[in-house]
Amino acid sequence: MAETNEIALQVKDLKKHFGGIKAVDGCSFDLPKGKISGLIGPNGSGKTTIFNLMTGVLGADSGEVVYRGENIVNLRPYQVFNKGISRTFQITRIYREMTVFENMLSASSMRVPESEAREQAEKLMEFVTLTPLRGEYGGNLSYGQQKLLEFARALMTDPEIILLDEPAAGVNRTLLQNLLAHIHHLQEEEGKTILIIEHDMNVIMNHCEKIFVMDYGVKIAEGLPDEIQNNEYVIEAYFGHK
Amino acid sequence: MSTRDNWRNLGFLAGWVVLLLFVPPTFSIYIRSFFMFLMMYVILSLSWNIISGYTGYISFGHVVFYGIGTYATAILVVDYGWHWIMAVAASGLVGAIFAILIGYPVLRLKGPYFAIAMLGAAEGTRVIAINWVSLTHGADGIAYPNIENSFETYIAMLVLMVIAVIVAYWVGHSRFGIRLNAIREDEIAAESLGVNTTFYKMAALVLSAIFPAMAGGIQGYKTLYIEPESEFFILITIYMKLFAMFGGKGTVIGPVLGAFILYSVQEYTWIRFPTAHLITFGIFIILVARFMPRGLIGFAVDRGWARKGMVH
Repeated sequence: MAETNEIALQVKDLKKHFGGIKAVDGCSFDLPKGKISGLIGPNGSGKTTIFNLMTGVLGADSGEVVYRGENIVNLRPYQVFNKGISRTFQITRIYREMTVFENMLSASSMRVPESEAREQAEKLMEFVTLTPLRGEYGGNLSYGQQKLLEFARALMTDPEIILLDEPAAGVNRTLLQNLLAHIHHLQEEEGKTILIIEHDMNVIMNHCEKIFVMDYGVKIAEGLPDEIQNNEYVIEAYFGHK
Repeated sequence: MSTRDNWRNLGFLAGWVVLLLFVPPTFSIYIRSFFMFLMMYVILSLSWNIISGYTGYISFGHVVFYGIGTYATAILVVDYGWHWIMAVAASGLVGAIFAILIGYPVLRLKGPYFAIAMLGAAEGTRVIAINWVSLTHGADGIAYPNIENSFETYIAMLVLMVIAVIVAYWVGHSRFGIRLNAIREDEIAAESLGVNTTFYKMAALVLSAIFPAMAGGIQGYKTLYIEPESEFFILITIYMKLFAMFGGKGTVIGPVLGAFILYSVQEYTWIRFPTAHLITFGIFIILVARFMPRGLIGFAVDRGWARKGMVH
């Protein structure tokens, strides 16, 4: 894929308060198109809330999420999904009493003929090596396999932007390498824009081209991995004052 | 589900229809009446299963659609002189409209709140049926002209059951049904993956209201007399729920098997132990709940006798 400086999505002064807690308090960033970016920060810094606001799971108090020239904040989640933004969850939300194949098919667009949806499901199950488990209930899969299933399910409609919430959490090293290879494949071969929330700094520093750092609901830094590692605000957020 | 499987299942259904067609000329009025009730409970259980089994919104007041249907048919036939078949068809429409009206507020609720709201809707409608005398004839009920209609009502119930089975089969083997299952499993995830949950839940409720309303219309016309206490009787909801859960909710064949087996057991215990039939029936249900909590189909799936999932 050619290098571009295009913006896939803009978050502008986004705010979300829960009573007195300012979960997101005026956060802004531009998500670069066709790249893998990371969103990091200490626990409770507002990362998952940002994902929930971007995807319509939560309504924002104020601010905008601009995608293809349209403010998509406060749309319902299915509307955001149908516009081409897909996500996974911090704790997997696969359908436990539906088979792997049904999990996949559930996320297909109704505008696509069923035969085509089935073909896409088979292709993606193959992609994440879950084909042998296609008839197994989602709840019977290991946690790592559930992560893979959720990842593959998020790709059913060929989204332009993929938001991954802690894809490495609870996944063994072998499966994680497998997952990261898939993520790189999507970015390099298909030009997808990917934003990853992750606490595993090896994943963030070695696989993301750009990193955004949040603390107390605001963005405190953004830049390349080397820049972030040496940023005093980031060090302070993670380790406190000297 | 392959085309071959579809044809095999259609053949199986056709076989049952042929057998049921032999009942009216072969057996007594009692047996005919037994099968008529049995078919009615197949319809009711399959319908309850769409909103509660597939979508996970457990309804404790589904009798409301049955009751509305009995009244819509009776009013149209007795007070407005409609042909009973036209009135039964119109009852389906009335049931659908009523589902939209109550669905808008109650489908915003979840779990026990939805269950109680539906129970309230059924009880409230029963009270309205008692008190809106100018429309419903109040507690006196509505009497049809006294005619022999057991054959045509039997055939009508059979036709309605076949349609209900076909619709349930379609729901159970389509992406529509898979999306309903997704709502049952995790509504937030389903919505985040492109499912307009408001639309699908409403569609499920409407679909699950049409058939009970029509079945109620046929049953009311068959018995020739309706009144609020019988038509909005909570036991009808309990039966449709029990039959679906006994067979296996969230499946197509489960509610059919459940209604066939459990209604037969219920009838048998009533004949054999008239003073203790509810206790006997209750013990049977407790045993089933203890040893087969996911119903007959779940029991078979757990032992590898049936395939997991609806779509393969």
